[in-house]
Formats: sequence, structure tokens, C-alpha cells
Amino acid sequence: MDASLRSRIQTLVDNNPVVLFMKGTRTAPQCGFSATVVQILDSVLDEYETVNVLADPEIRQGIKDFSDWPTIPQLYVKGEFVGGCDIIKDLVASGQLEETLGVASPEVAPPVIHVSDSAAAALKEAVQDGNEFVRLEISQGFEHGLSIGPRSDTDVVVAAGNISLVLDRGSARRAAGVTIDFVDTPNGKAFKINNPNEPPRVQQISAADLRERMNKGPLELFDVRTPKEREIARIEGARLLDRPAQDHIMALPKSTPLYFHCHSGMRSQQAAQFFLGQGFKQVYNLEGGIDAWSRDVDSDVPRY
Amino acid sequence: MSHSHGNHSSAVVLEQIKAAVVAAIPDAKVEVSGGGGHYSLAVISTVFAGKNPVQSQRVVYSAIKHLMAGDGAPVHAVDSLKTSVP
Repeated sequence: MDASLRSRIQTLVDNNPVVLFMKGTRTAPQCGFSATVVQILDSVLDEYETVNVLADPEIRQGIKDFSDWPTIPQLYVKGEFVGGCDIIKDLVASGQLEETLGVASPEVAPPVIHVSDSAAAALKEAVQDGNEFVRLEISQGFEHGLSIGPRSDTDVVVAAGNISLVLDRGSARRAAGVTIDFVDTPNGKAFKINNPNEPPRVQQISAADLRERMNKGPLELFDVRTPKEREIARIEGARLLDRPAQDHIMALPKSTPLYFHCHSGMRSQQAAQFFLGQGFKQVYNLEGGIDAWSRDVDSDVPRY
Repeated sequence: MSHSHGNHSSAVVLEQIKAAVVAAIPDAKVEVSGGGGHYSLAVISTVFAGKNPVQSQRVVYSAIKHLMAGDGAPVHAVDSLKTSVP
């Protein structure tokens, strides 16, 4: 590669303790991978430099040759190439991100976790010997996992009931007030983890449950299908989600339960997700859509 | 946002990626999935022994470099690349 380009990149890498070569800017990433890395860096760093390769075609190709790495984003820390999105996500998972970035890893106080007696007994039984620990993992998307295995030095250890839990730092930050229970399910006994830090999600509701709630009184149910589909079949009481209906929803208190349906449950999931993003706390999607409604609740509604 | 990937058929590209990795790393077990320019790879080989993630991924990237070069490249993005030792 061109010597002046090489020295331009070298200067960027040398003069900035942390520099991310990315598509777009820190406030407006133009690619999912770049956005992911920005989100991760933002969670631990106040200041870092970004270089928008889309605004500089020379650097866009040049950085790939410079690093011998074919993809963007690319992270450099103190002049060293750290890697791309995959590697940075792995650093987060293993709790090594702060160390790599050279920032003091904040002490994470052990969160308070409640483990029911039955859950504690079941976990105790699963742990074979003193070298094994019960690990609780909570991803950034609040997916929960329990596993048995070794612990690492960076883990946070929590005493809960008569057992110890280990968590990586990221999980520990998301774990305050978690309860772990061991309950009966249709498929046998299973652990049930409840996390009060979890942001609200779209909840799925069956046709039968929705009918039961509708029998108790009117509720905010919206049909996200096209007017043409409504001519074929409709659920009594469901309002077409047109512009006036959207304005109507936005004027409702954010605690109002909202229900959405479409033909099979996909489009309404999108709509439900949207209103969740607008701050509504209880948003339901009719599982299986009007098709499930015809099948399970009201066979007078034609299927199509 | 839409990208043009010429007329690269996903099935052909999957085979091209696999062949390119095995050509560079003969003992590699390669799993490739994806399509539409976006692919995910899992590669198992003894060459990754003692290498850190950056070094390991570089071995794979350099094997498929020719499939990723240029704007009309068959491989627009590698969504995920996992390397491990058997």
C-alpha cells in the first residue's frame, strides 16, 4: 500500500489510545456490526475516537490492508489491533474487555439473588465436586442460563441460600434481585428464573386467553392486516391499525395493555415491538393470529 | 440498505468458501451457512493451537480473501467466524 496512506493510518492508531474504524459515526452507525461495537464501547468508555471509513474510501480499503483483516469494524487499543465485532463480543463475554481497553474494571458488588429451597437442593445435587460451580449467565438481551462448570478469577461469587453462584461481571451487573425457583412444568421439573431488571417484552397470548379477557370487558385490540384482509375475516372488537388508531394509542397512558393481531402472528409482532419501543409496558401479540382465533375460538371466522 | 452481489448463487458460494478454507488448511473441518452475501463459518483445525482469536481468524480470512475483495464480491460480510482446535 501507498506509504503516505500507511503513515496516515499509523498516525491515527498511534495518536489515539482507543480508535474504532467503523461504518458511520459513533452517534449514527451505518452497519449492524459497527453499531454493536459502539454499544459495547459506550458501556465502558466515555471517550474514544472513531474513524468513518464510509467517508474516506482510501482508509476503507487501506485499513483492511494495514491490519491484514478484511472486515470493518476494527478496533485498535494503544497501537495494537484488537479485532472485529466477534472478538470484541467474546471479550465482553469473558469479562476481559476492561482489561483490554486499559480501564480499571469497576468492582462489581455481588448482587443479591434469591434461590428457593427446592432450586438450591436441585443445584446442589448437580454439582459433582468442589471444583465445580453453578454459573448464572444473563446476556445483554436478558437471556438467562444456568450451567455447571469451573469458575474464573474475574467471576463474581454470590452466596444464595446454602449454595454459591458464580457470574461473569456483565451478568452480575444485570442480576440484582434475581429469583431462581424449581417448578413443575408440563415437561417435568425446570428452573424458573425471574429477573426484575429485564426490560418489558412483547408477551404472547393464546386465542383462548384473549377471548377470556375480552369477555371480561373491552380492551385495546388492533388488527394490523390490510383492509382487504379484513373484508375476508375479522375478529369482532378489533380495530384496524390505521393512522387515527395509531394516534389513539399514542394518547393512551403507557400502562394500558395493548393487544395486536394479524393473520398468523408475524406482522402483529412487529407492530407490538414498535409500541413497546414507544414506552408501553404491557404489549400482547395474539399467537397464531386470526388463524388461531378461527381454529380455537370462533369457527364462524373464515380461514384464508 | 441493499447490496448488489451480482449473480452469485448462495449454494455455489458456500462451496467456494469451504473449498478455499480447506485449500489453505488441509485438516480443517468447515461448516458454512448463510446466503445473500452474508455467511457464518465455524472452522476446526489443529493450526489454531496456540493462536489467539485474532491470529486464528486471520488464517481463515486470508484463505477466503479473494472471495471478499471488491464491491461485487460474493462474500459481502462474515457474520460470525468461530475457530477452534479439535
